[in-house]
Amino acid sequence: MQALPQLVVSSLLLGGIYALIAVGLTLIFGVMRVVNFAHGEFLMLGMYLAFWAFTLWGLDPYVTLVVEVPLFFAAGLLTYALVVRGVIGASHNVQIFTTVGLSIVLQNLALVAWTGDFRFVRPWEASVVLHAGTAAFNVSQLIACAVAGVLTAGLVAFMKWTHTGRVMRATAQDRDAATLMGIDTDRVYRLTWAMGTAAVGAAGVLVAPLYSVYPTAGLQFVLLAYVVVVLGGLGDMLGALAGSLVVAAVEVAGSYLFGTAWKEVLYFVLFIAVLVLRPAGLFGQRGAEMLGA
Amino acid sequence: MIGAGALRGRAPAALLFGAFALAPVVVRDAFFLDSLVLILMWGALSGAWNIAGGYAGQVSLGHAAFFGIGAYSAALLGTRWALSPWLGLAAGAVVSVLAGCVLGYLSNRLKGPYFALATIAFAQVLLIVASRWRGFTQGSEGIPVPFRPGLWTLGVDRRGWLYLALGLALTVYLVEVYLESSRIGYQLAGVREDEDAAEALGIATRRLRVWSISASAALTAVGGALWAQYVGFVDPFYVFSIDLSIRFALNAIIGGLATALGPFLGSLLITTLETSLRATFAGVRAGFTGVYLIVYGCLLIVVVRFAPDGLSGLAARRGRRDSSRARA
Repeated sequence: MQALPQLVVSSLLLGGIYALIAVGLTLIFGVMRVVNFAHGEFLMLGMYLAFWAFTLWGLDPYVTLVVEVPLFFAAGLLTYALVVRGVIGASHNVQIFTTVGLSIVLQNLALVAWTGDFRFVRPWEASVVLHAGTAAFNVSQLIACAVAGVLTAGLVAFMKWTHTGRVMRATAQDRDAATLMGIDTDRVYRLTWAMGTAAVGAAGVLVAPLYSVYPTAGLQFVLLAYVVVVLGGLGDMLGALAGSLVVAAVEVAGSYLFGTAWKEVLYFVLFIAVLVLRPAGLFGQRGAEMLGA
Repeated sequence: MIGAGALRGRAPAALLFGAFALAPVVVRDAFFLDSLVLILMWGALSGAWNIAGGYAGQVSLGHAAFFGIGAYSAALLGTRWALSPWLGLAAGAVVSVLAGCVLGYLSNRLKGPYFALATIAFAQVLLIVASRWRGFTQGSEGIPVPFRPGLWTLGVDRRGWLYLALGLALTVYLVEVYLESSRIGYQLAGVREDEDAAEALGIATRRLRVWSISASAALTAVGGALWAQYVGFVDPFYVFSIDLSIRFALNAIIGGLATALGPFLGSLLITTLETSLRATFAGVRAGFTGVYLIVYGCLLIVVVRFAPDGLSGLAARRGRRDSSRARA
């Protein structure tokens, strides 16, 4: 088991990034009960932001992050007002197709504006390799994981200890009761959507140096994020954290054992298995997956 | 099977399909005929999706899986064993029914968005298998389907294709009409609207759901096999793509969910839009082929929000308004 330290380190680094993608999704899914199929597109837009900032002005992705958060928060507010707000109380099918429509629009705006070429962001730190025992990894991975960890922890703390976070959790638990308590649910949803969007955009900026950037880059991540979210239990942030480590470990171990070509099959099969066997997530209680109206 | 009552009020459909049948007699333009074939094919495929997604209320975003199974069956049987695409079509339908049973089983355990997500994952697994299993499917290169003249090998001209596509479209349409006017159709509507109530009335909801998804899967595979033969090339990244799954759903939603003619109206609108926008923008810049997809996405958002019953719903509403005005 020579490779074991490398597998553990790789899983941890990958898991940190997946966590940040999934936390935004579980927030939206948990609080708003909206299945957001456009989540991956905001990740893709974050990647493009990192790419252009780096190519045009030589800005390091980690500097871009400072601009990204307010920018994507605003983009979230805008898409909420234009697209999402009107379907909040609607049926699941309406919500699914609305966010699918949003995803098609964003993907193809990127395609028209920036073509389908694969682009790369390679700041200096992406080529610096560190060693820890027999394990090797590069600095970009480490920074991405660390920043993702800090942002995720920040979100979790926000939800747990601030008044707004408590209001959001109350709305997630029971929308009608929250409304009766005088909570402005529309404001909560707006904030949730914008925060989720900013979080996944940040994840996009962070992963840009690690993956190639192209208009449909979001798809693989969004499916993966759903695997994580369902594994961790709907709306459960710490669950999402654990779920992302599980998924990352499966991916890393799968690539090691079967080759990278087949690793995706592994996590889709895992996904379907989890949906069928434990729809409430690995740690959830049965019935928790039922989407209340 | 289909009584006379079921055919009442079908004049628009007769008109539409009749026009398609007569078109080749009048027009010989290859581009125009090609557009008609595509409208019919995408309409039929959306109609097949409508059986599960509309009538049974099982919204799938992975129907490309069945389309791909059909396309690959026809292409593989044709290129590896030189068998007729008709046999490939049948084989594709059989395999799809089996795959449909798997999805049907999932649909009995998963609700709404979970089912949609599982269907995406299902199609993605097939996409990965088809694009990586080089020894059998030629991997990501795809498979060119040879043109062999003759009806048995489906090597016919555009007019022949128009009638083949029309045959498929009519078959799907009649299945839909059957679902609107038969006992099984009413049972499906019961399952869709209120599952608990349907079960309390003694309807075998689980079996019905599996049945509807399998039927939908088989027809989708038939469409996939014909499409592969028509286009002459099977690309795994296209035939199993989520874009394709969305297209099936989109036509049906824009035309009107759970209406027999809806998918065809949706396809008429969307396919025409696509062909004309493509023709307009193709020369401008490579990336501009995406323009029609932007229109497509906006249309989808607007339709589900403001006209959830689609074009058929709008027409029905207008019809009611006219008749009430006539009475007054």
